[in-house]
Amino acid sequence: MIPTFRILVLLLVAVPLLSAAVVPLFGRAARRAALVLALLQAGLTAAVVLVALPVLNQRGESMMPDTPGRARPIQRFVPEFVPGDPGYRGNPDSSTHRTGWTLLSFGDGPADRPGPRVQFYVGVDGLNVWLVALCSLMMLAAILVSWEAVADRPGPFYGWLFVLQAGAVGAFLSFDLILFYAFFELTLIPSFFLIGRWGNGPGRRDAARKFFLYTLGGSLLTLVGLVGVVLTNPLPDGRVTFALPDLMAAVQQRTGGPGSAGLQAGLFACLVAGFLVKVPVWPLHTWMPAAYREAPIGVTILLSALLAKLGTFGLLRIVLPLMADAAVEYGLYGRAVIGVLAGVGIVYGALCAYAQRDIKMMVAYGSLSHLGFLVLGLLAFNTEGVGGAALHMVNHGVSTGALFALLAFLLDRYRTTDMRAFGGLMGRFPRFAVLAFVVCLASIGLPGLNNFVSEMLMMAGLFDPRAGGGRVPGFAVVAAAGIFLSAWYVLTMLRRVFFGPPAEPPAVAGGPVPDIDGREGVALGGLAAVCLLLGLFPQVVLDPMEADVAVVAAIGDAARDRVEGPAPKGYVPPAPRRFRAPDPPPAGGGGGLPPPPFPEPAD
Amino acid sequence: MSEPLGLAPAVLGLLLGATVVTALMAGAPRLRRFAHLPLVLACAASAGLAIWIVIQLSAGTPAYRSVPVTWFAAGNFAASAAITIDPLAAVMLATVTFVATWIAVFSAGYMRDEHGVPERGYARYFAVMGLFVFSMCGLVLADNFFLLVAFWEGVGVCSYLLVGYYYAKPSAAAAARKAFLVTRLGDTGFLLGIFLLWKLGGYHTDLTVLFEHIRTHPPDTGSLTTACLLIFCGAVGKSAQFPLYVWLPDAMEGPTPVSALIHAATMVTAGVYLVARCAPVFALVPDAQAVVAWAGGITALLAAVIALTQTDLKRVLAYSTVSQLGYMFLALGAMGAVSPVFAVTAAIFHLFTHAFFKALLFLGAGSVMHAMGGVIDTRRFGGLRRIMPVTHLTFLCGAAALAALPPTSGFWSKDLILEALRDGAETTHPYAGGLQALLLIGLVTAGLTAFYTFRAYFLTFWGQTRVPEEAGHHAHESPPVMTVPLLVLAVGALAAGAVAGPLTHSFDHFLERTPSLQQAATAVPGAKAPAHAFDWGLAGLSTLLAAGGVGLAAVLYAKGRPEKVPPGLEPVVALSRNKLYVDEVYEAALVKPLTGAAVAAGMFDRFLDSFGRLLASAPRLLGHLARPVQNGLVQFYALGMAAGVVVLLSFVAFRIAR
Repeated sequence: MIPTFRILVLLLVAVPLLSAAVVPLFGRAARRAALVLALLQAGLTAAVVLVALPVLNQRGESMMPDTPGRARPIQRFVPEFVPGDPGYRGNPDSSTHRTGWTLLSFGDGPADRPGPRVQFYVGVDGLNVWLVALCSLMMLAAILVSWEAVADRPGPFYGWLFVLQAGAVGAFLSFDLILFYAFFELTLIPSFFLIGRWGNGPGRRDAARKFFLYTLGGSLLTLVGLVGVVLTNPLPDGRVTFALPDLMAAVQQRTGGPGSAGLQAGLFACLVAGFLVKVPVWPLHTWMPAAYREAPIGVTILLSALLAKLGTFGLLRIVLPLMADAAVEYGLYGRAVIGVLAGVGIVYGALCAYAQRDIKMMVAYGSLSHLGFLVLGLLAFNTEGVGGAALHMVNHGVSTGALFALLAFLLDRYRTTDMRAFGGLMGRFPRFAVLAFVVCLASIGLPGLNNFVSEMLMMAGLFDPRAGGGRVPGFAVVAAAGIFLSAWYVLTMLRRVFFGPPAEPPAVAGGPVPDIDGREGVALGGLAAVCLLLGLFPQVVLDPMEADVAVVAAIGDAARDRVEGPAPKGYVPPAPRRFRAPDPPPAGGGGGLPPPPFPEPAD
Repeated sequence: MSEPLGLAPAVLGLLLGATVVTALMAGAPRLRRFAHLPLVLACAASAGLAIWIVIQLSAGTPAYRSVPVTWFAAGNFAASAAITIDPLAAVMLATVTFVATWIAVFSAGYMRDEHGVPERGYARYFAVMGLFVFSMCGLVLADNFFLLVAFWEGVGVCSYLLVGYYYAKPSAAAAARKAFLVTRLGDTGFLLGIFLLWKLGGYHTDLTVLFEHIRTHPPDTGSLTTACLLIFCGAVGKSAQFPLYVWLPDAMEGPTPVSALIHAATMVTAGVYLVARCAPVFALVPDAQAVVAWAGGITALLAAVIALTQTDLKRVLAYSTVSQLGYMFLALGAMGAVSPVFAVTAAIFHLFTHAFFKALLFLGAGSVMHAMGGVIDTRRFGGLRRIMPVTHLTFLCGAAALAALPPTSGFWSKDLILEALRDGAETTHPYAGGLQALLLIGLVTAGLTAFYTFRAYFLTFWGQTRVPEEAGHHAHESPPVMTVPLLVLAVGALAAGAVAGPLTHSFDHFLERTPSLQQAATAVPGAKAPAHAFDWGLAGLSTLLAAGGVGLAAVLYAKGRPEKVPPGLEPVVALSRNKLYVDEVYEAALVKPLTGAAVAAGMFDRFLDSFGRLLASAPRLLGHLARPVQNGLVQFYALGMAAGVVVLLSFVAFRIAR
């Protein structure tokens, strides 16, 4: 069965790309075609999630073999269902968690010393499986809210949306650095056209250009950082590799070796630049207000729900494992540069959100504030913080996306989201009001809804179990202030828009303005229901990512040992991950020993 | 399942079920008239179950704890859904559900116009109220800090929705937002405190396990004090203590039964319950105790002073709640000096009796308001005792209990608190002197309470009969659906205290079996145990003060003449009438600066953007600078080439020559 599942993973990337090619052919009917294709992708994602969950849950206890002679086992990510996996000893039902599909090969030497290869290395693990699901979900929401709003050249519009989705899915699934980077950059092109051509206001071209140049500038620096990391961390046999798991092993084996602190700092600065711009982290966010304001609402949903996650995901997948020491030093624990920036962003974003008169802008700045919290959670670099942040990526995507989706309701009817124009909508649209309240309360971290769970986990991470002592850490105070401030601006908006004497701007269409219709009910109700489910049963999401979060946390713990010295007495480090013996291969298969994770590939 | 552990989830299930059913009924216009039925039935059934739990606990094992179910967990952190039933929780559960039942019955009459037609939001009202009672019951049953926070915030949201029930009214909208935000401000500290305690207490979040861990591995007192004070922030917000009490008086913008619910049963008592529940840790830190006691004392006095001159009947009652909650915290703050069992018993006993008489008073005010066509300003009506005899008599019962006149419920419970303070002041505890002062504050407040309560009573029910024009011709006694709850609660206000307290001592005997209180008691071994002997001296003194207050009010207001301010007292009265300008202070010290910061941040963001644009224009600027070079003259290019060759050659020549 496993080879079949590998094809499913491949299809996850392929279907959006094919859809992008097909949808424009439908012309006026493109939106229907897009909906069908997005549903197909959603079904595919559901299949992959259902197949992957048992595998991911089972490996919870451990994935890593003990390395003889090392105090700490080497930690690396283990992608499952890798397409092109040659199988261990030729048995296609066993996995080497590697791929044989090479896209590019540089300077091949003799047969036993192949040169660096860029591979089509994609796979599913606990960190990306839910983000891929998020992509499918938000894609559906984006198509449904664009249903009426996009009448101008719908074919190319939905086509570009699918390219955007393909880029995001591909980046989440990639385990090859260059492949990741290619997908990461692929998202820029559709965003540029979607904002520039289908945007709302007169400033759309300017906003698109600013977005493009800003993020491109950041990510070119990231490319320099990526190449630098690869070159300074060759494998023990001298080869260089772009495969993330192998590179992680190489980094851990060489730590403490050559490479000056200055070089490390420089590489780290380059590496994080693109991700910090993409998140965005204050003060690199100035592309964001214009882009979110000018983009059509469906695109804003994808920008906030998916593209922002590419930045935080890059930090989680690439920066933390590969430059752990620098991430400890410049994250929260040493010269906490990035931590301070994120903390400033939390308060600054919340204040700016309060000052906005346009609800769309309020949500945009509020997102800046929430993402600052997410970055702090990641940089806490422990199980609680990283686990909470990984969950918060999904939660923030759903709830911020849902907030923007709510605005589509107003935009379709009134073409404005200026909160001064509205009042007393609770009596005017009772059904819409119920959904709006659920989503707004979710975004301010009300327990029982999704954001509360991840915010509490990140807060636990910020309290830093490793440090001991009875002090309230400053970053936790800032984060808690952010939670309070989010209630402040969101409730103020609710009071203006939903309470008070009824007021509404002139409607777009004549006649009575209807409450939520079926299409909007499905989109908004679905998102609100997801918020509720994620809040009530978060462990379903947390369990599969446990093993992968433990990998990152163990790397962080080791890095803190090196940077800060050993942990204080009484601290229990993250449980060492030991190798779980997999099920014996099926009778008649390769036989013999069970395959170890990451066996050396058979030549 | 008749085990208490099976009954408690049944209580929650019933209430949640009622909420869901009512919410569904909101969608069916024909059923909307009956939207009160699910809630009334569920509340009544859960009150029955809660009383059954109390009976079972008093006979058998004092505490049950459910198997925790993981809610979410990562690393050292695990939040679980665990509930516990012990006498403390059971008393709270029974009080909440019993009072809520009668408030729900009353609401079924109140939320209709004079023709008995339900208001537009009838179903919405009962759905949210169901969720409110559900959250409160979950809060008292929770055995995990994060589950407790979940219900705690749930209570906050429901109060937000109910206070803002009349959403089109700007003042209601503002009050709802204020209630939520002010309590959320306290909750921010609460969360930080929980996490600190989590770290100090061996990374446990289940209350029972956490307290046990802290008992066996005591952390340093400084950190524990910080944690307790942060947790107390949450209680200050929720229970409307100084300085975060400002939301509660405004919260009466909601329908009056909602005020009864908030003030008596489901919201403001949460903070008192929280500190009582956390007694095992609070007992360890005398400094935090002192803060609790002083916060309570200051609040009790301050709110009583403000209540003296308010003309809005509901506002008087609201400030009286703030003041009475202050009494409860006074008792809790004596925890180190007297036995925690004594202190918590006194506080919870007052909470118990207060629930009866405050619900009664608010429902009485609601009955008045219903008859007066929505007018509640005591300057605009008077002499209602002839029009509304039942409301008048039951209100009198409630007022007597609030003023702590013997032998009403309020008398016994307030006396217990004063006794706790007196006993604490007589010990050698480091803060005994403070308790002496607080006892004095308690006594003064008792006199003030009696005065303002009866001032409001006389202004409303005595003097010449006056009715505002909003009431029309239909100013009459309320229908039985509203007067029966008043009568039931009046019986409670009169007798519950005496029956549960001095006559049988069943309340304290029941409560002292709570394991967490026993554990707290072992933490302060030298503390004074409760004396079951009644202290006639203290009781006599407080009764004298109360009687004085009532007498003064009778002299000044029984004739129904308009209020006259004695000369010389005008500034004091103005200060009281304007609520000591606390709202204005907040406005100037907190709201304005924060709003200003927001506007400044918004402007700075534009500046930051233009800074980015400046950077972006650098290439173009460079291009402008370099543009003259590309002037299209072939001779100029030739000159440039020649110069370049010269430079290159001379460079090479010099290198080689060296």
